[in-house]
Amino acid sequence: MSRVWRQDLAWAGFILGVAVLFGLVHQYPLVRASWRGELAPRLSQVRDQRRAEQFQGVKTINLAQAYALFQPGQARFIDARPADEFAELHVPKALNITPAMVPAGVAEKVAGLAKDKEIVVYCGQVNCDLALKVAEKLQTLGFTRVMAYIGGFRAWDEAGYPADTGK
Amino acid sequence: MRISRGALGLRTLEVVLGGLFFYAGLQKVLHPYEFAEAVLAYQLLPESLVGVVAAGLPWLEVAVGLCLAAGIKRRSCLLLLAGLVAGFLVVILITMARGLKIDCGCGLFFQRQVGLAVVLEDLFLVGWAAGLYWWELLRSEKCGPGSIVKAAP
Repeated sequence: MSRVWRQDLAWAGFILGVAVLFGLVHQYPLVRASWRGELAPRLSQVRDQRRAEQFQGVKTINLAQAYALFQPGQARFIDARPADEFAELHVPKALNITPAMVPAGVAEKVAGLAKDKEIVVYCGQVNCDLALKVAEKLQTLGFTRVMAYIGGFRAWDEAGYPADTGK
Repeated sequence: MRISRGALGLRTLEVVLGGLFFYAGLQKVLHPYEFAEAVLAYQLLPESLVGVVAAGLPWLEVAVGLCLAAGIKRRSCLLLLAGLVAGFLVVILITMARGLKIDCGCGLFFQRQVGLAVVLEDLFLVGWAAGLYWWELLRSEKCGPGSIVKAAP
C-alpha cells in the first residue's frame, strides 16, 4: 500500500506544480502587482470599473458625505448587512434591509418613506456590494434620492461616528 | 464489459465532486481580482503572496476537478482535493476565531460568509474526497496489478 500511496502523492505533487505554474503565467499581471506591493490600488481600480458597469445610475458617496447627511438627520440610513451583523452595531435609527428582502418583504419597511426622501444605504466594508444592490433595487421601487455609501460601516465605526445596538 | 453497480456509483460521485471543483475554480479564474480581494480579506498572507495564491489556487481547482471528472489520476486528484479542503477548513476556523466577518470566497453557486455553515460544507467535502480515495485504494488492491484476488477462470 505504501508504494501506491507514494505514487499517488508524487502525481498529486506534479498536478499541483503544473496547475499553479500555469496559473502564475496566466495571471501574471495580478502576480506582478501583488509582488510589487501595488495590489490594493489595483484592486480598488478594478472594483470601481466593475461597479461603474454593473451599477450604472446608482449615486455613491464617501464617508464625509455620509456623515454630513447623518448630522442634520435629513437622510434615512439603510443597513444592507445580514440581520446578525446589524443587531451587533449599526448607524442609529437605520433600517435593516438586505438585498434578499427587496422587493419581497420590504414594502412595509419603506412604506412610511417619501419617494423623494434622501436615503443612504451602506454595508460592511469598502469591498462589499450589498449597499449598491439595495440602492439599485430601491431605485427601481421609485425612490429618487438613493445613495450608496461605499466606505462601509467599518470605516464609519473606525471614524468614531455614532453607532448603537437598538432597533 | 460489465460494470458493477459499486464502480458506477464511485465514478458518479467522483464526476460530481470533480464537476463542483471545476465550476468553483472556473468562477475564480474568470474573476481573478474579486478572488484576490477575498484572499486579501482573510488577512493571513502578506500582500506579496496574495497574488500568487489568487492566481494559482483557481487553476489548481480547475485542473483537479477536470482530471477527476475525466478519470485521469483519480486517486491523486482525490488526495489533492482532500488536502485542499482541509487547508480551507483550517483557514476558516482561524478566521472565525479572529472574529472576522468576511465573504468566504468559496465560489460555487452563491456568496456566503465565513461561519459554521462553511465549516460543515468543508467537513462534508473532506469526508467525500477522503472516502472516495479510500474506496479507490481498496479497489486498486483487489483489482490492480499484484492483486491478491485471483481472476475467475
